[in-house]
Amino acid sequence: MTYLMITGRTVNQGVTVENKTSPEYAEETSTCHMHEFDMLELGLDDRDAILVTGPCGAVVMRAVASREVEMGTVFVPYGPYANHIIDAGTHSTGMPDFKSHEVEIEPTDDEPKTVHKLMEDLGGLAYDR
Amino acid sequence: MIVKDVVCPFCGCLCDDIEVEVEGDRVVSVCNACELGTTKLMGEKRMKGPILRDGDGWREITYDEAIRYAADMLLSAERPLLYGWSGTHGEAQCVGVHMAELVRGVIDNTSSVCHGPSILAIQEVGHPGCTLGVVKNRADLVIYWGSNPIDAHPRHLSRYTYYADGFFLENAFRDRKVIVVDIRKTETANIADEFVQIKPGGDYAVLSALRALVRGKGETIPRTVSGVTREQLIRVADLCKGAKFGAVYFGLGLTMTPGKYKNIRNAIELVSELSRHTKFTISAMRGHYNVYGSNEVNTWMTGYPFGIDYSRGIAFYNPGETTAVDILARKECDAALIVGSDPAAHFPRRCLDHLADIPVVQLDPYPNATTAFCNVQIPVAVTGIDAEGTAYRMDGVPIRTRKVLSTDYPSDEEILSRMYALMQEERER
Ligand code: SF4
Repeated sequence: MTYLMITGRTVNQGVTVENKTSPEYAEETSTCHMHEFDMLELGLDDRDAILVTGPCGAVVMRAVASREVEMGTVFVPYGPYANHIIDAGTHSTGMPDFKSHEVEIEPTDDEPKTVHKLMEDLGGLAYDR
Repeated sequence: MIVKDVVCPFCGCLCDDIEVEVEGDRVVSVCNACELGTTKLMGEKRMKGPILRDGDGWREITYDEAIRYAADMLLSAERPLLYGWSGTHGEAQCVGVHMAELVRGVIDNTSSVCHGPSILAIQEVGHPGCTLGVVKNRADLVIYWGSNPIDAHPRHLSRYTYYADGFFLENAFRDRKVIVVDIRKTETANIADEFVQIKPGGDYAVLSALRALVRGKGETIPRTVSGVTREQLIRVADLCKGAKFGAVYFGLGLTMTPGKYKNIRNAIELVSELSRHTKFTISAMRGHYNVYGSNEVNTWMTGYPFGIDYSRGIAFYNPGETTAVDILARKECDAALIVGSDPAAHFPRRCLDHLADIPVVQLDPYPNATTAFCNVQIPVAVTGIDAEGTAYRMDGVPIRTRKVLSTDYPSDEEILSRMYALMQEERER
């Protein structure tokens, strides 16, 4: 199924933002907030793993039911998970489309990666694992 | 020891009424700050000393070695990128601009991925803004558009709007109305007197509809506009026109959505339309505590607020070309100095692919996502905790952050000045 993915700030993201290698930051930024009915349609329970595929690749997150989003829209806190699938095009403004990406979502048996692992997949080297 | 009137170095509200208790080299308790500020002020887990990536491992090095490495990296690069700057004080930002000019690099700050589009709009139509104090004391209508202060600027509501007393308002809590416009029913939407829920991407149309209504062209409005009913639009327009003093605070919900700076332009033009009926102002909810400062410092030194390219020997500015995301995605820069930000967590992955291929030096107190892409990371003192310096609040008011405790960590300004001195020496040879 196709959804509109928007990203944004949450208190928890802000609280953990200076500690980006912590499990709490990983958990917060890999959470995909969805409408209950959308989750029902995909057969998802709270905190089930989902594969989210965007224009630049796919990443595993966890689905959580939220009253804040409408059907067809999902919300992911700013961070490395959402950015893993966001395109770098900026339409000559310098600003990528952080709040208007169409993504495919399907259930998966995989687990979300750690922030360290995500960075290493892109050629980095984790420091304080 | 209790330290009073501490400035919180987290978000653009730059609250200056914080009290902290210090024991030795640690903050042990924080009063008045919100959860975000408290966590930052109590923060732990600093990096101990500079580190160097050595093949598949990390090695500790001295500050001298790290500074030398950074200076050499910038001097030998053909198109270095100096990025970040919103998480440090103005004095350090100044040195950054001088360095960029010396090595003919590109200097960009995090506003290119937050309120850069707002600045583009302001360059087109101007900025009818005011300080937070004016809003606190006068505004009887506050509109949060595409911004969610409860999550991003938790004390904005209590210090300046919804819960704040106002000098010229008899009973501010009762007299002050709050309108929230968003695509999500956020926490902030829950406290609003009027919540306008827009379909994603519909901001421009709704702004245009409101402009038409304020102009008295109500007959042109269809039954719904981007999910908002005509009745609600009329109600909102009437609330705005009936207010004595209105203030719009917009967030990334306007700058990051389709339309980008054109959304902001439309919002500013709505505000000037409203100012024909009453007094209205509009301002951006700036995120990092000193992202506004990076715009100020860059502007007074180079003429431009962000994305400044010195490759021609003079300052050149062209957002979309000279901005960090574009330069990284095009694989253009051949070295990067990152100060006070974490692009690996906040940039799309194509940018990170390139960061992995070039030498990177980062100044940051904490290990973060960008650490994984660094050749060298230099831990520094945290401005507002163990370093002092000037920061600009979201309304452009400069506030000097305080040093509440002493550690051995050098400040950003110290490290950058030493780097710059080495670079000057080398260039003069
Ligand atoms: S609102 Fe912002 S500046 Fe004020 S205490 Fe919270 S994080 Fe700090």
